[in-house]
Amino acid sequence: MTAAHEDRTGPAEPGTERDRDMSGTSTHDGTDRALLPTAGGAESRAALRTILHGHRLLAAGAVLVLVVGTGIGLLTAPLLGHVVDLVVDQEGPRALTLPLVLLVAVALARGAAGAAGSALVARLGETVLAAVRERFIERALRLPLERVEAAGSGDLVSRVTSDVAVIAKSVRQALPEFTRSALTILLTLVGLAVLDWRFLLAALLAVPVQVLSVRWYLRRAAPVYAEHRVATGALQHQLLDSIGGVRTVRAFRLNERHTGLLADRSGAARDVALRGLHIVTGFFSRLNLAEYIGLAAMLGTGFLLVRNGSVSIGTATAAALYFHSLFNPVNAALFLLDDAQSAGASFARLIGVANLPAEPAPRSGSVPADGSVKVTGLGHAYADGPPVLSGVDLDVHSGERVALVGASGAGKTTLAKVVAGVHTPASGTISLGGVDVRELGPEGVRRAVTLISQEVHVFAGPLAEDLRLARPEASDAELRGALDAVGALEWAEALPDGLATVVGEGGHRLTVAQAQHLALARLVLADPPVAILDEATADAGSAGARVLEEAAARALVGRTGLLVAHRLPQAAAADRVVVLDGGRVVETGTHDELVAAGGRYAALWSAWSNSRRSADAPAPASAEPTPVPPADRTQAGAADDHLSADAVIRPAAGGPGRR
Amino acid sequence: MDSRPTPAETFEHGMDDRFLRVALPNFPQLRMEGHMPVGGPTGGLVLRRAIRGQRRRVVSASLLGMTHQGCEALVPVVIGAAIDTAVATGSAQSLLRWLLVLGVLFLVLSTCYRTSARIAEGAGEHAAHRLRLELGARVLDPRGGADANRLPGALTSIATNDARRVGSVATVLPYGCAAIAALTVSAVALLRISVPLGLLVLLGIPPLLWLGHRISRPLERRSEAEQESAAHASGVAADLVSGLRVLKGMGAEAAAVARYRTTSQDSLAAALRAARSRAGHEGALLALTGVFIAAIGIAGAYLAMDGSISVGDLVAAVGLAQFLLGPFQLLAYSNAEFAQARASARRIAEVLASPAAVDGGERQPDGPDTGAGHLRLRDVRLGALRGVDLDFPAGSLTGVVTRDPAAAHDLLLALARETDPAGGRVELDGVPLTELDPDRLRRTVLVAHHDADLFEASLLDNVRAGAADSAADAVDAALAASTADEVAALLPDGADTVLAERGRSLSGGQRQRVALARALAADRAVLVLHDPTTAVDTVTESRIAARLREVRRGRTTVLITTSPALLAETDRVVVLDGGTVAAAGAHTELVTTDEAYRTAVLA
Repeated sequence: MTAAHEDRTGPAEPGTERDRDMSGTSTHDGTDRALLPTAGGAESRAALRTILHGHRLLAAGAVLVLVVGTGIGLLTAPLLGHVVDLVVDQEGPRALTLPLVLLVAVALARGAAGAAGSALVARLGETVLAAVRERFIERALRLPLERVEAAGSGDLVSRVTSDVAVIAKSVRQALPEFTRSALTILLTLVGLAVLDWRFLLAALLAVPVQVLSVRWYLRRAAPVYAEHRVATGALQHQLLDSIGGVRTVRAFRLNERHTGLLADRSGAARDVALRGLHIVTGFFSRLNLAEYIGLAAMLGTGFLLVRNGSVSIGTATAAALYFHSLFNPVNAALFLLDDAQSAGASFARLIGVANLPAEPAPRSGSVPADGSVKVTGLGHAYADGPPVLSGVDLDVHSGERVALVGASGAGKTTLAKVVAGVHTPASGTISLGGVDVRELGPEGVRRAVTLISQEVHVFAGPLAEDLRLARPEASDAELRGALDAVGALEWAEALPDGLATVVGEGGHRLTVAQAQHLALARLVLADPPVAILDEATADAGSAGARVLEEAAARALVGRTGLLVAHRLPQAAAADRVVVLDGGRVVETGTHDELVAAGGRYAALWSAWSNSRRSADAPAPASAEPTPVPPADRTQAGAADDHLSADAVIRPAAGGPGRR
Repeated sequence: MDSRPTPAETFEHGMDDRFLRVALPNFPQLRMEGHMPVGGPTGGLVLRRAIRGQRRRVVSASLLGMTHQGCEALVPVVIGAAIDTAVATGSAQSLLRWLLVLGVLFLVLSTCYRTSARIAEGAGEHAAHRLRLELGARVLDPRGGADANRLPGALTSIATNDARRVGSVATVLPYGCAAIAALTVSAVALLRISVPLGLLVLLGIPPLLWLGHRISRPLERRSEAEQESAAHASGVAADLVSGLRVLKGMGAEAAAVARYRTTSQDSLAAALRAARSRAGHEGALLALTGVFIAAIGIAGAYLAMDGSISVGDLVAAVGLAQFLLGPFQLLAYSNAEFAQARASARRIAEVLASPAAVDGGERQPDGPDTGAGHLRLRDVRLGALRGVDLDFPAGSLTGVVTRDPAAAHDLLLALARETDPAGGRVELDGVPLTELDPDRLRRTVLVAHHDADLFEASLLDNVRAGAADSAADAVDAALAASTADEVAALLPDGADTVLAERGRSLSGGQRQRVALARALAADRAVLVLHDPTTAVDTVTESRIAARLREVRRGRTTVLITTSPALLAETDRVVVLDGGTVAAAGAHTELVTTDEAYRTAVLA
C-alpha cells in the first residue's frame, strides 16, 4: 500500500446531495423518504453471477495467471533456504550459481506474471463496473419521476456518485491487492505444509487472534466510519453554506456566529477522525500480537524439528522467512475485508435500482392528433396529505395559451406536473391530442409535453451538447436557430468558445436567466405540441423576468401553452385565464371577461392595477388605460420591445430606449 | 515486517479516501487577476506554521516512531540470532531467551507504533482543523476580498482538501524521521554483520528505488491523466441524475442514456489503459526487488562460505534487505506528500493573503439609536454607475428604479461597502463610508440582496439572525410585515422548522418572504432592499407593500425595484438610466408623466 493508492476524485460528485442523503431519512417537509430499494444478498449475488458469466474466460484466466505468479514468487524462500543449506553443508561457491540463476528467473517471472495478473483482474473489474453503472443509469433515468421524488433526488445522486466510487475504488485498489494477498497467504500456507505439516499448524496458531482482531475492528469501525461520513458531510455543508452565503453573512454581521459554527463542525469532524484512527491503530497493534505468536511458534517448531532431525536448519529458516513475509499480506487482506464489505453494500444499492421494473409500455400505438389537452374530474393528493386538486376540468384547444392563476398553494404547480406526467393523478382523466395518457404511456406523454419548471439545470459539457439532449440529431444551424428563436443566440455566441463553451458544473457558469433561456431553447428544439411553463421566470429578478417572458412567448409559438402565471401581465397576455383556489377551478375565461365578471381575478387585477397607479392617483393623463390590452402586448413585445436580452445578460448595456 | 501501511495510508484507504475525500467538482483554478499576495503568508510559511503549531506532537511522535522503526529493524536480526544460537545449536534455554527478547521487542514496537501513529495523525488533524478555521475566518472577514474571483465550491475544496494535505505534513514528518531511524539502525546492524554486505545493501537500495521511480514516473503520469478521464464518467452520471427533472421534462432520457454509454465506454477504455500501466509498473518493481534480494542472498552466501559471516548473519542480512525497502518507501512517500502539501499550502496562502476588498476605516458610526441614518451619494462612479448623486434623507422611504441590472448591482456594492467607488463618495450622516469600519457600518446600514441566502437553521433562527437578542417584538413585526408568518404556518413545525441548505425546501417566493423578514427584523437605521418580492405572488406582494412603510417608520429605507406595488408606497422615486440619475419624483407623478418610467415599471 503506497501513496499511489490515493485516489482521484471524480469531477462532479455533488457532496451536498450525498450528505443530505446521509443526514437522515426525514425531509424538511417532515415526510419520511421512501428510499429506492437495495438488493438483498441473493439478488446481488445472482446479478454478479449473471454479469461475470459473460466474462467467465477472462475471470478464469485472471485467477490462473495470479495463482501461477504467486506460486512462482513463493519459490524465493525455499531457494534462499537452499542457499543456507549449501552454506551449512560447506558446499563450494560454485554451487551457488544455480540458485542465483533460479532466484533471478523467479524474480523476473514473478514480475511478469504479477503484471499480467493485475492487468487481467483490472480488466475484469472495470468491465463489470462499466456494465453495472450503465445498467444503473439506464434504469435510473427511466424511473418514474414520482418514485425518484419520493426517495429524494439525493438518493439517486448518492448511488451514482459515492456508491459507484466505492466500487470503483475497490475494483482498482482493493480487488488486485486483496486477490494478491489472499493468494499469497493461501499458497504460503501450502508451502509451509510442504516444508513440514507441523509448520502449518504453528502458523495457524496466529489465526484465533487475527479473527478476534478483525471482529473487534469491524464492529467498531463501521459505526465510526458512518459517523465520520456524517461529520465531514456536515462540515462541508457548513462551509458551502457559510461561504456561499458570505455576502449575507457580512451584511447581517454573522461572521462570528458562522466562524463558530465552522469551528464546531470542523472540530467534530476532527474528533471523529481521531476516533477512527484510534481504531485503525488499535487493529494493527492487535495484529502485532498475532505476528508474535505465529513467529514464536515457527521458531519453536523449527527448533524442535531440527533437534529431532525432521528438517534441516535451512528448512527451519525458510519456514521463519515464509511466516515473516506473511505479515504484510495478512495485514492487507484483513484490512481490506472492510472494503469488500462496503463494496458489497454499494453494489447492492446499485443493483436494487437496476433491477426495478421498467416503465409501463404504452398500451397502444396511438399518437396525439394535435396539441389539445383535456382534463376531466382530475384529483390529486401527495402521499396521505389532503387533496391538492379536486374535480378539475380543463379543456385547452390546440395552440391555445392558458394561464393558471392563483395564490400559493392553490394547486397550480401540481396541476402542471400532473398534466406533464410527473405525477399520476389520483382520480380523473387526462387526454392529449384526443388520446388518454394511460394509452400513451410515460414515454408518449413526455414526447407530447415538455415541462419547464423553476428548477433549472445546465448539463455539464459543451453548450451545444446540452441543447442536443433535446434533439440529438440537431445540426449546428438548428441549434443556432433555436437559440435565436428565444433571443439567446447573442449571448451564447459571445461565450468564450461560443456554442462549444463548456458550461454547467465545473465549466463556465451561466446566470439563472441564461440557464432558463437555455431551457426555452431546448423546448424549441424538442418541439413538442404542448409546453408547460411553471414559474420559469420568477428567480431572474424583475428585469430578467420580463426578458424571459418574452423569450417564453416566442418559444410557445405554434404549440399549446399552459403557463403558471406569477405576474399578472403574463395572465393578461394569455388567450384564457384559469383561476385556481384550494385545488379547484373557480373562474375561467379571457382576461377581459374575468375582469368584467368582477370575481376573484378581477380583484387580483384591481390590486395589481391599483398598485400600478397608486391608490389615490388621478386618472392617467393618457386616455389609454394603464394596462396595455393583452393583444397589443404580445405584438408590441415581439415587435419593438427594447428590453433585449442584453439588458439581463450583458448588464453593461445602456438604458432603455424611449418611445 | 517491512512496508506495513502507515496509519495515514490505511486510514485514508479505509475511511479518509472513502468518506473524507471531499467530492467536489474540479473547479478550474481561477487565476488571480491583478492580485499580488502582499503582506500575507506565503506557501512556505503556511507549511512551516502547520508544523510549528504541532511542535510537541511532531517531536514526541517522531521519537516514538523512531523507536518503533528501530525495533522493526531488529526483528530480522533477532530471527537470525535465534536461528544461529538456538535452532542451529539445539539449546532450549537459548531459544526461550530469544523468544523472550522477541516478545519484549514486539511489545515495545507495538506500543510505540500505536502511540506514535495516534499522536502523528492527531497532529495532522489538529493542524488541518486550525487551517480550516483560519481560512473560514479570512473568507468571512467583514472586509471581504478572499471570496472575489473564487467560487464557493473552490473555496470549500481549499478549506477541506488543501487544509488536510497541509495538515498531513505534521503527520508525515514523524514518519519521515522514523524511516531515517530505521535506516540508521539497519545500516549499523548490517555493517556490524559485514562491511561489504552492508555497503552492498545500503548503496544498492537508492539506485534500486531510483530505477523504480524512473520506470514508474511516465507510467504514473499517464495513468493519472487516464484516471481523471475515468472519473469523468461518474461526473457525467451525477450531472444527468441531478438534471433528471429537466431531462424528463423534455423527454430526453434516451438521448441521455446513449450519451452516458459513450462516456462510460470511453472511461472504461481509459481505465483499462491506466490499469495496464499500473500493472506493468508493479510488475517491474516486483522483478527488480526480487533480483535485488537474490543478489544480497547470494553475496551473503559467498561471505558465509568463506567464513566471514555466520548463517544467522546471512539470514539477518536477507531479512534486513527486505525490511529496508519499507523505510525507503516511507521516505519516498513522505517526500511526495510534502510536494503535494507545498502546492496546497500555496493555494491556502493565496486565499489568506488576498487583499481586502475595502480597507477597514477606523471610525465607528453613531449607533443605530443615535445616528439619523442619512445616506448620500455624491458623484459616485463604479462600474455601471457614471456619476450618481442620490440623497436618502433620514427616515425616508425611497424607490430606485433602474432597468440595468449592472447599475443596481454596483449601487448595492457601494452601499454595502463591498467595494469602494472608483470616484465620488458615499456618506452616512455626513461621514464618508471609507472612514468607517465595514463591520461597524453594517450595524447601521443593511443591504439585503434579492437573492439573499438563507441558512440551514430554523425559519425563526434565520429571521432572528440579524436582530438584537432582545428584539422579540421587532421579529414578530417583521414576520407579519413580510408575510413570512404565513410561510411558517404552512411548515410542519411552524417557525421552528429547519430549512434545508440555502432554504431550498422553500419555494422561491417563500424564500424571499423569509429573507425579507430577516432584513426587517434586523431593524437597522438604514435598510436597502433589492427586488425583495420578485418571486412573490401579486396579492401577497401588495400586502407586503402596504405593511412595509409601517414597519420601517422613522427609519431610512431604500427600495431598488421596478415593482409598482412597492414603488407606490415610496415617498419618492429616483430613476437611474445610463449610469446617472435620469428622473426623480413621486411614483404617481412619474407614472403619468414619464413614458420610459411607465415602460420600466408597468410593462
